[in-house]
Amino acid sequence: MVSKTEETQLNRLEIQVDNGGGGAWEYLCLARKLKVRRPEKVLKYGLSILNDSKKRSALGPEEWTLYEQVAIAAMDCQCLDVAKDCIKVLRKKFPESKRVGRLEGMLLEAKGLWGEAEKAYSSLLEDNPLDQVIHKRRVAMAKAQGNISAAIEWLNKYLEIFMADHDAWRELAEIYVSLQMYKQAAFCYEELILSQPTVPLYHLAYADVLYTLGGVENLQTAKKYYASTIDLTGGKNTRALLGICLCTSAIGQVSKGRNKEDKESPELQSLAAKALEKDYKERADDKHGLLTCVLRSLKI
Amino acid sequence: MVAELKHEISQNAYIKLVLHALKHKTTAVNGVLLGRVNPQNESVVEIIDSVPLFHSNLALLPPLEIALIMIEEHYGSKGLGIVGYFHANERFDDAELGIVAKNIGDHICRYFPQAAVFLLDNKKLEALPKGKDQSPVMQLYIRDASKNWKLAGPDGGSRLVIKEPAANVVLSDYISSEKWQDVVDFDDHLDDIKMDWLNPELFK
Repeated sequence: MVSKTEETQLNRLEIQVDNGGGGAWEYLCLARKLKVRRPEKVLKYGLSILNDSKKRSALGPEEWTLYEQVAIAAMDCQCLDVAKDCIKVLRKKFPESKRVGRLEGMLLEAKGLWGEAEKAYSSLLEDNPLDQVIHKRRVAMAKAQGNISAAIEWLNKYLEIFMADHDAWRELAEIYVSLQMYKQAAFCYEELILSQPTVPLYHLAYADVLYTLGGVENLQTAKKYYASTIDLTGGKNTRALLGICLCTSAIGQVSKGRNKEDKESPELQSLAAKALEKDYKERADDKHGLLTCVLRSLKI
Repeated sequence: MVAELKHEISQNAYIKLVLHALKHKTTAVNGVLLGRVNPQNESVVEIIDSVPLFHSNLALLPPLEIALIMIEEHYGSKGLGIVGYFHANERFDDAELGIVAKNIGDHICRYFPQAAVFLLDNKKLEALPKGKDQSPVMQLYIRDASKNWKLAGPDGGSRLVIKEPAANVVLSDYISSEKWQDVVDFDDHLDDIKMDWLNPELFK
């Protein structure tokens, strides 16, 4: 995941390069380090270095990393000729490389030659069954072909081997959400919270899934996880504050007049509402009226 | 027999939704259509404005519920309501209306029975800079008698029209000047409430 500071740094660098202020190489390095997807810019500035023999040779051995980065960006932009050229250069330099083999597989994918790409990946996996990137390419390939059930199957198989891959769990959770398989999605978020208990994003996503599932028990648990999100973000998360209000209102509707179980934290919703009111007044005053309407319609 | 319903979308409402989809090329996005039944002609639904909703986890309820309350409240005071739903699929070559889009469409139909669902037509969008096609780069879905969402038949083109005939030319211009970078959706607002989902500066 990319933190806010890292993103600001990257954006600042991008603007600098856009305006001819230099720093293209630093920008490309940061984009690579953060694993962000900005193919148009990477392609443009990467090529400007690769096409300038002086700049290119100044990179030393990093030159080859740049070829790889540009090849991937070019495939993302459907500039398959550029990608092909980059991969050719790399193949010449590293005739036996598996890493280049991976790029060749991806080029087949980009051309839509799924069968050939699958063959290329299988043979690479035979040599190295624990190549994570290739396992992930298989999932991506299934997704690209619209075969979501295969994507789920590959991802589950992958997670049996690489259980600690958070991004993969998150990907699986999001696929389940998109299929409205909320129970399965909730399971993925539980795994994520167990392994990384201090990441607010997972608490929030888990709460959102539970709220969507509905029912008193899920709503009450959702409320707790919205509360922990608020705790972990120092009270700064709008989604979680609104979540508390939604849960309170929904619990009130479902358990109307029956039990008054929700006594654990009676002041929680009014605190959440107050925090929202204050934040909107300070930072989005023109929407403050709409927030008041939301709170009123939720009877808070 | 009742005349067949026609949906007439304003240029700005139309362009805003397409730009939103272009801003988030690698994910599914959605939005709502705001308008009313034409007071002079009951068989025309006028779509005056649109609000881009989300670009991540479209199928989660909490953000959607908050967005719908705020949007209804804001436009209700102007005499407009939610009259339809817009969806763009994650994959370029996926031209099917998915389960999430159908469910949100059903929800909107409960309050506005003539509601339609528009699905982004990627093939038409791709051909936009080359062709002179004036018809929208969206497909119209309507509910049939048994409440299933169906692609409006070959005459669908005449049942979904853009009010301003030059809208696609304007859209092409905006695409080449990368105007899509400026579109703000409800996801952005929830991440930072300073971001305004009404996009007041977009067409200035």
